[in-house]
Amino acid sequence: MNHARRIIYLIGMFAGMLLRAHAADANFHGFFERHCVKCHSGEKPKGDLVLDNLTADFAGKASRERWDRVLEQLTSGDMPPKDKPRPPAEEVKALADWIGGRVASAETARRSAEGRVVMRRLNRAEYANTVRDLLGVEVDLSDLLPPDTSTSGFDNSAELLHTSSYLMRSYLDAASRMLDEAIVNTQKPWLLKKRFDVREERSVKAKGSVYRHVDDGVAIFAVWESANIRVTMWNFRSHVRGKYRFRISGYGFQSEGKPVNFHVNAGTFKEVTEERLIDYFAVPANTAKVIEFTEQLEPENRVRIIADGLPALPPTVEKIGADKYTGPGLVIQWMDVEGPLLESWPPPSHKAIFGDLKQERVPGTGDSARFEVVSPQPVADAERILRDFARRAFRRPVTDEDIRPFLARVKARLDQKYSFEQAVRVGLRAILVSPDFLFLREQANALDDFALASRLSYFLWSSMPDEPLLKLAAEKRLHEPSVLHAQVERMLGDAKAKAFTANFTGQWLSLRAIDATLPDRTLYPEYDDMLKTAMLKETSLFFDEVLARDLPLTNFVSSDFTFLNARLAKHYGIPGIEGTEMRKVTLPPGTHRGGVLTMGSVLKVTANGTTTSPVIRGAWVLERILGTPPPKPPADVEAIEPDIRGATTIREQLAKHRKVASCAKCHTKIDPPGFALESFDVIGGWRENYRALSNNGEKDAKGRRVRQGPAVDPGDALPDGRHFHDVDEYKKLILEDKDQLARCLAEKLLAYSTGASPTKSDKPHIETIVRNLHDKNYGFRSLIHEVVCSPVFQSK
Amino acid sequence: MKIPRRTFLRTAGISLALPWLDAFAADPKRPSADAVPRRMICICAPLGLHPDNFFPQKTGRDYDLSPYLEILGEFRDDMTVISGLQHAGMGSSFAHQASASFLTGVPGAGRPGFRNAISLDQFAAEQIGTKTRFPSLALSGEGAGGLSWTRTGALIPADNAPSKVFARLFLEGRADEVQEQMRRLDDGRSILDDVSVQAKSMRSTLGSEDRDKLDEYLTSVRELEQRMVTDESWAKKPKPKVSVKPPTDITNAADLIGRTRLLFDLTHLALQTDSTRLITIMLAGSSFAPPIPGVTLGHHDLSHHGKDPRKLEQLKIVEIETMKTVRDLLAKLRQSKEDSSTLLDRTTVFLGSNLGESSSHSTKNLPVLLAGGGFRHGQHLPFDPQNPPPLCNLFVSMLQRMGIETARFGTSTGMLTGLDAKA
Repeated sequence: MNHARRIIYLIGMFAGMLLRAHAADANFHGFFERHCVKCHSGEKPKGDLVLDNLTADFAGKASRERWDRVLEQLTSGDMPPKDKPRPPAEEVKALADWIGGRVASAETARRSAEGRVVMRRLNRAEYANTVRDLLGVEVDLSDLLPPDTSTSGFDNSAELLHTSSYLMRSYLDAASRMLDEAIVNTQKPWLLKKRFDVREERSVKAKGSVYRHVDDGVAIFAVWESANIRVTMWNFRSHVRGKYRFRISGYGFQSEGKPVNFHVNAGTFKEVTEERLIDYFAVPANTAKVIEFTEQLEPENRVRIIADGLPALPPTVEKIGADKYTGPGLVIQWMDVEGPLLESWPPPSHKAIFGDLKQERVPGTGDSARFEVVSPQPVADAERILRDFARRAFRRPVTDEDIRPFLARVKARLDQKYSFEQAVRVGLRAILVSPDFLFLREQANALDDFALASRLSYFLWSSMPDEPLLKLAAEKRLHEPSVLHAQVERMLGDAKAKAFTANFTGQWLSLRAIDATLPDRTLYPEYDDMLKTAMLKETSLFFDEVLARDLPLTNFVSSDFTFLNARLAKHYGIPGIEGTEMRKVTLPPGTHRGGVLTMGSVLKVTANGTTTSPVIRGAWVLERILGTPPPKPPADVEAIEPDIRGATTIREQLAKHRKVASCAKCHTKIDPPGFALESFDVIGGWRENYRALSNNGEKDAKGRRVRQGPAVDPGDALPDGRHFHDVDEYKKLILEDKDQLARCLAEKLLAYSTGASPTKSDKPHIETIVRNLHDKNYGFRSLIHEVVCSPVFQSK
Repeated sequence: MKIPRRTFLRTAGISLALPWLDAFAADPKRPSADAVPRRMICICAPLGLHPDNFFPQKTGRDYDLSPYLEILGEFRDDMTVISGLQHAGMGSSFAHQASASFLTGVPGAGRPGFRNAISLDQFAAEQIGTKTRFPSLALSGEGAGGLSWTRTGALIPADNAPSKVFARLFLEGRADEVQEQMRRLDDGRSILDDVSVQAKSMRSTLGSEDRDKLDEYLTSVRELEQRMVTDESWAKKPKPKVSVKPPTDITNAADLIGRTRLLFDLTHLALQTDSTRLITIMLAGSSFAPPIPGVTLGHHDLSHHGKDPRKLEQLKIVEIETMKTVRDLLAKLRQSKEDSSTLLDRTTVFLGSNLGESSSHSTKNLPVLLAGGGFRHGQHLPFDPQNPPPLCNLFVSMLQRMGIETARFGTSTGMLTGLDAKA
């Protein structure tokens, strides 16, 4: 220990001694002596928690975390252990209050010095969007960047975003890949513009198959994906990465006037994982319709056209013969492809870095057609390029000092006879792995306009601020309320705001977990990819609608509308909706739908593939919608073992639980919303009875091997005694406290937008938001504005 | 956490130190302890192994082989089955997330504020990682989520494409590719130099907690620089030659057995060529029905069997297939001779799960199988599930068996009693 540190250490000890002399400290020492230290000391302290040397230091992180653990144990009542003498309740409470107070004041002190949010690294989605906007190219980086650990809440939590040498290597590789894409070293790629006739495809044999070649195309009668009986357009291949425009013409064949559905996939198709859905479409019967879409493709991509909802399987059609088959089919006539759709050459991504610097053919390398950027004044050009790139990459003005190491490196590389472009690339790569790029830089207390610009853009776009935001920041006007309001409006109107919907709902409503389980195919044969896609679209369209129209956030609990297509409407038992397109539908009475709680997507992610649990769904509602998360269950309690043999219902199993006082304390809060949602099965279908497996594989009227199990009882009572009979009544009860719904959502939005959950000391600001929102009819878009205006959002 | 040897001996006590001392016992016929390469494979079955089929009824040396252990019957003397163990501080509400702690033992995976710590393999890699071209390999049957974590609690992305790992291990690049790789390494190191200059100048402007974050960045940069230096020296040495064809990745995500087999084949090759001595493998936990006769449901759904006899039957079929892949891995390791020993005798194979009973998401009574590595095997070692020692005690035993000086790992309270090293 050096001299200076020793002095600081001694001062620290002295300060600790002074604190120890404090009256309350004497109390806590006495308390710990009597109840804790015996186990929590020595070489092997229980729970790895040492308490005999606790000081009243709440400022140091390690010490504060230790106090947090003490507080948690005291308030949960888990410690001291049951078999040891218990201190009087009032003594425990006094101590807990004292700790709580000290933690709060230490927190206030720390925040005024360092801010609430610790320095935050861009997460995977933010990094990908940022390089996309910074370099102007779209490249898939998912194989390079590991997913961020999101143990709970949101995956942009500053505290949880760690860095490792593995990640640094990934960043280095990602930077190379992005630069390779942004900078072009070839001549302009040729433009493919061609009509592909389906009849010429080798995947649609004219004889002995499920296809009939008709005058104007091919009629598809059956699909069997696992046996590769599906239409792949092998004659088309994307020759370079870029956007391609597709036009596909088709109609319903022998479909008795009904439209026919299909979907289009893209990918290399070399691996199952290298195939992704573009979208679902529908064409009318007998009259050809052209569907059109534009899609970003990697090189060597192809597309597949897969008919949906055709009743026959291939063996049936093959037996009859495709020529004689009279059932419904899909005719595809042709597919037009145009691409890559280029704005200019070199593309904007290249010009954004190098401006109008000339390219020349490079002599001597193996690839004779390689072009490189050249410069008559390499050092001056390199400096200009690095300065401008760093400004955008760092999201703020840069000083000479900022770019000095990078410029020095480029100069050194030029001296080592690197070509101009190769040398500049090294500098650009360095900027892309530098801490100023990878981390959001924020100053304690009020954010400056540049930090505010970044916070806004990572909130609403999950990406870097654009030039208008940076310009307003440079003019120091962004923080002005009217400017801020106008910017939020502009940003929400931008296509990049899709990232907010996807990332916020994906985590707030757990939608990212949609594929975590695949429903039991015997119990739930009606679940398929088309239904899943519709479910997800319903939720994001609904969220967008509430946001766009500033509808009251109570709509998330209960609404008179939702978004449906034929498939989802059938699942919900709502008649009169045709076609694959999702549209806004006013819900007829008695559908039990409306709001996110009763959406298929949410009901699916809160169940496993076989059973529902009121405990899981109930805890989910408490945490996500009501903002009153239940305390964590005691570690020694085992979950209820599900039994789907139909003998006992989950309610009967849970009833035992609730008879035990210590369990009842929490379960009277957790179970009610869970019971209300018991009316919905694991894929969000309405049920009056549980679905059970049939005995000996017998089939029901719909050909499923299931039978009716015990009746569902969705009624229960809230902890305050108010009763409800079903989910509709439950929703009405929780709608009575609109403020609490607003509070919950405000907290989620603040956590998501700042990278750290608000704490106790933010309560007054949250209450201000809730109060203001009350006057604005609880509009959800207004809530976004309120959050942005809040001091919690505008300070570190 | 490197503990001076003296401290280790003092805290560990004589009885704990003995097996470790044994590894260093002077035996003129045996290579010196340092020269004996010791290896470790850690495998996690993320959906558990059905306890009724996994655990034997009887304990001790005369235990009866359970349906799953029956598959491994020929290795009875090379393995120990351990029951009753669990990690401290795990709960059923976050049972799946508990896989993050499977090799770290950090309590509370999945809970808010959870911060992971170094995993068993990386702890070992800090000591022996430089001896091989790759300090460790993190593999996974699907996705990038694996079992290996850095000292600061960052996930080490796992490789799930056997063909790519094979190429890294065994395929030599063309001369110009190697040259390009050397240039990239050189550029990379220069870049890391530059950004650490930038980071250091930034450091003085930060508050203490921001500084912790930046220090984590600087540590990462420094570690990568060191890694690149090692990489450069390895890049100059030829890679080991193997006489097998490069694997073709299995594209069918449902084929978890096929994928496991490829990973296990690769594992054997990597150890046999001494390309690495530490491998972690997260097996696939697919939601899709695997292509196995008699199985019509996805593995994840089967694991939520709800006592349905039809599902239990299918679950057994899937897990027996998994056990067969383990058997074949053990067989390959035993067939491979090294000096006067076998690869199996020098490789601790640890198979387990973060789930004790998947249907109820229990994290107690985890299935644990230990094979090879030079332990005195051949028993069912039971612990009281109501009051078991932490699973980390086993990790301490495993580390010490590898000749790594440590008295503690994670939540350990010592070594695992009843598990001794071979004489």
